[in-house]
Amino acid sequence: MTDLLRILDTGFEHLILAYFLFINTFYFLFNVLSLAGILRYRRMVTYVRFGEIFRMPIVRPISVIVPAYNEEAGIIESVRSLLSLRYPVFEVIVVNDGSSDGTLARLVEAFDLRPSRTVFRKSLPTLPIRGIYRSAVQPRLVVVDKINGKKADAMNAGLNISRYPLFCAVDADSILEKDALLKVVRPFLEDPERTIGAGGIIRLSNGCVVKEGQVVEVGIPRNWIARFQILEYLRAFLGGRMGMSMMKSTLIISGAFGIFRKDLAMACGGYRAASITEDMDLVIRMQKHMHEKKKPYRIQFIPDPICWTEAPENLRVLARQRSRWHRGLIQTLVRFRRMLFNPRYGVAGMFAMPFYAVFEMAGPFIEVLGYVLFGSHVVLGQVNAPFAVTFFFVAVFYGTFVSLLAILLEELSSHRYPRPRDILILTAAGIAENIFYRQYLSVIRAWSLIDYLRGKNEWGAMQKRGFAKAGQTP
Amino acid sequence: MLSTIVLYSFAYLLLLSGLLFLFILARRLLVESRERKDLRLYKEMERELLEVWTSPSPSRAALEFARRHRSRPRVLKLLLVAYREALVGQALEPLKVIFERTIRGRCLRELRSPFLATRLQNVRLFVDFSRPEEAAHLVKLLNDKPVVRLAALNALTGIASQDTLAVIFDGYERDPEPNFYAYSNVFNSLGQRIEPFLRTSMRKPLSPDKHALLIEMAGRLLLRGLYPDIVRFSLSPVKEMRIRAARTLGRLLVPASRRTLIALAADPEWEVQAQAIRSLGNLQDWRAIPILVKALFSPNWHVRYNAGYGLAAYGLVGVLQLQEVSRQKEDRFAADMATMVLDTVVLTGGAA
Repeated sequence: MTDLLRILDTGFEHLILAYFLFINTFYFLFNVLSLAGILRYRRMVTYVRFGEIFRMPIVRPISVIVPAYNEEAGIIESVRSLLSLRYPVFEVIVVNDGSSDGTLARLVEAFDLRPSRTVFRKSLPTLPIRGIYRSAVQPRLVVVDKINGKKADAMNAGLNISRYPLFCAVDADSILEKDALLKVVRPFLEDPERTIGAGGIIRLSNGCVVKEGQVVEVGIPRNWIARFQILEYLRAFLGGRMGMSMMKSTLIISGAFGIFRKDLAMACGGYRAASITEDMDLVIRMQKHMHEKKKPYRIQFIPDPICWTEAPENLRVLARQRSRWHRGLIQTLVRFRRMLFNPRYGVAGMFAMPFYAVFEMAGPFIEVLGYVLFGSHVVLGQVNAPFAVTFFFVAVFYGTFVSLLAILLEELSSHRYPRPRDILILTAAGIAENIFYRQYLSVIRAWSLIDYLRGKNEWGAMQKRGFAKAGQTP
Repeated sequence: MLSTIVLYSFAYLLLLSGLLFLFILARRLLVESRERKDLRLYKEMERELLEVWTSPSPSRAALEFARRHRSRPRVLKLLLVAYREALVGQALEPLKVIFERTIRGRCLRELRSPFLATRLQNVRLFVDFSRPEEAAHLVKLLNDKPVVRLAALNALTGIASQDTLAVIFDGYERDPEPNFYAYSNVFNSLGQRIEPFLRTSMRKPLSPDKHALLIEMAGRLLLRGLYPDIVRFSLSPVKEMRIRAARTLGRLLVPASRRTLIALAADPEWEVQAQAIRSLGNLQDWRAIPILVKALFSPNWHVRYNAGYGLAAYGLVGVLQLQEVSRQKEDRFAADMATMVLDTVVLTGGAA
């Protein structure tokens, strides 16, 4: 019996070490690929004049769709930021998804909205629409008021009303930089036949100063949870997504800022209302569709169009958000399980889906198992020294090294943190997140499987503070 | 034992982080120092460049400028690109002289670079400074990656001689996977001078997609001389051809096209109907009004939508028809569409 336990223990130890070694090596390779991608992108845009799109006789107009649920704190800043975007032809469609706060009232007041008797084609099924409003002062703005049906349903309502061949999904608590559309649309101009989607980078606005719908001063927040998340976002977008994009394995274009071909999204049935992570679900369905039609396609991640968004600053709200993301990931991977290791779906089936299944979906359980095992060894006084050294090296040391590389990628890409103090804080966050924060999130993500199996499908409200104004202390 | 491991590992982590931080700081210092130096050089060169235009002999001054700054290609490229943006016509000549005497040779070499970004950078410089005899270098890039191909096409439009036009159209006809978006931008930039080439290509047996773009261009560039060819395409068995023909006829606005458009408005495919109705609206021929009113009762949303806006384009006569339809009770969908169009027309009128 003791021998059996020892064999099991050794087996688990090897499994955990292999897991950490592989995941960190993959992320390290993604970082290397990202580095190459970012340097290439920087060279490619050296002489690009993004404003030349204004002179192009045929430019693809974009419908910016903004689903909003209880966003009264920041909706006006967000809409102002969207209306001030530099792009030749676009419309902004805000879908008020049955907010119970004053979202609609604030919009009506700020933009002089008036009821419109617009007749639209209901190509995608949605919950009933209560009214459509047009602004008397901003001809590009349309506001749709509908019964609450979650984000996917609101996006579908926006798609039904949108007029243009490309649509851009933007979260209502986000701010796009002025040139973001000009930059993110480039793949659609350069390779319009094949490009089906493109996404930019999401950055956290916590600690930044916002003035007239634009981030005017980038800073680091005082809250450590937000600081850890800044690093996480840099790691995920500049390291992970850029690397995955270089490998033609993009499965996620963030719902906070992504641009897609409308005809294709419609052909795939729009957003799936039952999905928790509707952005990932749509991207995978679009890829599946293209593979099944045997049409070449590409989805591109671009490192410099920036979308600023607010991150939760307390653990409870963060836990709800991460639990939802992980449940969404599990739901999507289970739903598209037939694509796993299926050569019919190319790189998406043979690499991207298995990667997400093994390292992103199952990862937290193995991590938690590793911490439990290590903790139990410490408690029982049976620390296996070679295991402890290797575990520390591959899990903590290697992991932190990969995290710190993300700061370097930021420095090489958009260089948004000009003060050395900010870099120092981010570096410190890279080390400090190993104490409690990472373990906490692993436990939350592992627990979300139980929530998923119990059929929990709720979003969980996120308290919004609104963006810090110029002159206010972030 | 465990505490020693943790202590050492923590020390290594701190060391690693410190090194990274120092690396970032050192890199910043280097980059900032280089940028400062480049900026100083840029301002100095800019001052000299301005003197080139004010000198008694700009071409000689340009040659002298090129001789002095040949060894500073990085800053020179930035300066040339920035001034190319701001200048037109004769004022560009000194810049072209400087480009040819300094970095032209390097650019031509780098057009053959195995690195995509390098090729792209140099094509972009050619977009601004290319000469007709250099078309051959750019034509070779039409087989490159989409992003380079697009830039090469743009460069070709800048040196549009008859020979270059023939090369562009030949390239279009032979292109196995044409980037229609890029070609449409190119054709647009070339303007009405492409009419004879367009006519010749239209009469060749090309794929429907290629023909569709040519038809579209005839409308966008208002090439009324191609009207008989467009009418021929309206009889095509391919739906996409009929749609494009209907749209182009709505742009050319040749009065004789009314009959063709009325025939297309009765097409079995709703997409063709919708387009023909919109074009009939553009045509502003009062004899088409009953057809537009009838189309407002179509079971298809797009046809109703185009009929509504088509009627609105007629002004008061159309608005009266829309009011009448909005008041009737038999067809709620037609009434809703007419009401929406009236709302939009009134709102726009108010804003204007």
